[in-house]
Amino acid sequence: MTTLGWSASGSARNLIAGNVRPAGVCSSSHLTNRDFKAFEVAYDGNPLEKSLKMLDASITEAFERAGLSSPEIEESMLLVGTTGGIFIRNEFEFTETVRQNPEKESPPIVCRNRGPGEVAEEIAQKYGIRGLPLTFSMACVSSSHALVVAAELLAQKKIKRAIVVGFEPLLNLTLQGFASLLLYDSEQCRPFCNLRSGMQIGEAASCVIMEEGPGRNAGKNKYLFSGGHLFNDNSSLTSAGTDGELVKRVVSHTLAKAQMEPSGIVAVKAHGTGTRDNDLSEGRGLSKVFENKLPPVISIKGAIGHCLGAAGTVETALWLSCLEEGTIPRSFGFTEIDPEIGFIPSQGNLPARNGAYLFTFFGFGGTCTSYLITKM
Amino acid sequence: MMNAQQKINAPIPVISAGYLGPSLTPNQEAAWDEAKLPLNPDDLVQKMMGQPMRRAGRFIKLVCLGALACLKRVPPEELKEKKVGIFLATGLGNIDEILPFITQVFKHDGGFPSPNQFANSVSNAAAFFLARASEIKGVVLTISQEELSFESALWLAQSYLESGELDLALVGGCDVFTPSVEDYRERMNLNPGHYRNAPMGEGSSWFLLGGNSANKLGDILSVEIENNAKEIGKTSPDHLLKQCDELAAGILPAIEDRGTSRLFLPGFRLFDINEASWKKHGWDIDDYLPHCGISSTASAFGLARALLSRKSTLVVHCNQHATGRQALVAAITK
Repeated sequence: MTTLGWSASGSARNLIAGNVRPAGVCSSSHLTNRDFKAFEVAYDGNPLEKSLKMLDASITEAFERAGLSSPEIEESMLLVGTTGGIFIRNEFEFTETVRQNPEKESPPIVCRNRGPGEVAEEIAQKYGIRGLPLTFSMACVSSSHALVVAAELLAQKKIKRAIVVGFEPLLNLTLQGFASLLLYDSEQCRPFCNLRSGMQIGEAASCVIMEEGPGRNAGKNKYLFSGGHLFNDNSSLTSAGTDGELVKRVVSHTLAKAQMEPSGIVAVKAHGTGTRDNDLSEGRGLSKVFENKLPPVISIKGAIGHCLGAAGTVETALWLSCLEEGTIPRSFGFTEIDPEIGFIPSQGNLPARNGAYLFTFFGFGGTCTSYLITKM
Repeated sequence: MMNAQQKINAPIPVISAGYLGPSLTPNQEAAWDEAKLPLNPDDLVQKMMGQPMRRAGRFIKLVCLGALACLKRVPPEELKEKKVGIFLATGLGNIDEILPFITQVFKHDGGFPSPNQFANSVSNAAAFFLARASEIKGVVLTISQEELSFESALWLAQSYLESGELDLALVGGCDVFTPSVEDYRERMNLNPGHYRNAPMGEGSSWFLLGGNSANKLGDILSVEIENNAKEIGKTSPDHLLKQCDELAAGILPAIEDRGTSRLFLPGFRLFDINEASWKKHGWDIDDYLPHCGISSTASAFGLARALLSRKSTLVVHCNQHATGRQALVAAITK
């Protein structure tokens, strides 16, 4: 569920068709500062209601596409990745109080929420999920880490099935926080482009169902999680090192663990935030791994923004939905090659052939996620 | 429904443990007063880390201090060339850093939060600082659940150890005191009649698990998390006692140690434990809350304290989630 549509399949069709709107000035009533451009989901109603509907839409779609029965949902483990959780409730209630009392000075905001884990409890209760709930609140890798942890537990047969959810509504907290770090591109999100100057935030809710065993016939194709790697680099809180060595190490380890050669990768779904440092680290790292045989590299963030804690699951769900349509989507926001990166992200839709696709995510706190999903 | 997949398959060696409570005296019990919390950890930071952590918030400092109190018991060579992971569990996380940040964001006439405030408010900042302080690179996970997050992290760490993905796991729980006790109780969903009467507290308590050290403190024997325990009547005091008796009956003969004593640690949600009944069944009860107060991850404190202070004891900790989920952790000390 992204700015491209209220479903993963609808978002995929719009992405493939190029029906992509650039980030714009936000209109949600809870946002106090209108200076930031973001990828905002259009909705006639209050933002709290919208975000919960987004969550519901993504989970319901995933359950339907997977064909899960109620007992199967009940026995599943729930893993959630989010940064702000349901903090939007506090922001909405506060801004409404202020709006309804224009003559009074704003009171201090009350932080009533209990923590990011609230999301998992709400989902578990609503859908009757009885498996262990786990919430990862780890900035931009929250849900990508959750996917790899789920795969690890499935491989060990500790669980039969994982429902992995990523949730990130637009928040004043995140918009103003990233602004304080001077990490925004005020014009456009331009992954790997020489003109890039920062990221743009998007909002999303997403759900990926993973199962142990041969898999069911839930769609046109089957997808196998072929290996993942979590790594935490403790040298920098905010950068993955612009020499590309860290990215090379993480991706190489992922390939080695899956006993796969770089030449076996069909395409790379890159993190590609549009910040100077991330794209340089990633671009250099990928070039080091693949040398002169770089497969198509695509960042989805030029089309949906950086969905922070939800990025892992939303980009995976959107990517796999594109593959279901038979297409590897193009990268948006690119106009000029960065000589330090030395490659152009894929600028046209490509046929989605069978084989392994590489996913990368790099986040605040030295966090790195990398995994492979094979289209069978 | 006893979820078999949530049981541990083999004992996990506990190489070291360390705890830090509201008195900020590592691995020691000391008097403290809820009305005077929170205490400033900066002197302890200087003492334990040899330098100040100027840009870090209090949650980050406590995470590092608790974990280092655990690691200082381990010779550095035991960590060398090993795949070590960090599993940080927290209920409310870095709430002490989020509050000033949001106050700044929502300031009258518009606020301008500092980048440092934002960086400190990001949930996994603490795990980064700990990874740096302990020189650990690899799997680092921050598990955020209002309740039973420590038990969940323990279970997850075991999965990573069992698969060989990790050689050692540094697992801990940390929660910090918030300025208003009323807010703190509200956030923790402490409705009257649903928790044991105790002051609000804080703590950072850690375990180094895995390996096969001859100097280990003991073993974690099982972590059982049952999601519908309340619905099927398993959370009643009588049933809990029966469950612990059965657990002991299954464990103690297997370790062939007839001299092992039994210790039950009740979590803060357990408020009607009849000590006399438990004593009749051979269990001592250790109410550890007076030493750490109530916090989401207080169970880590109770377990670390028991592992460091008891010999030849089967230790069982139980806590319940407000929704009725129940977590039982069993450990045995050397």
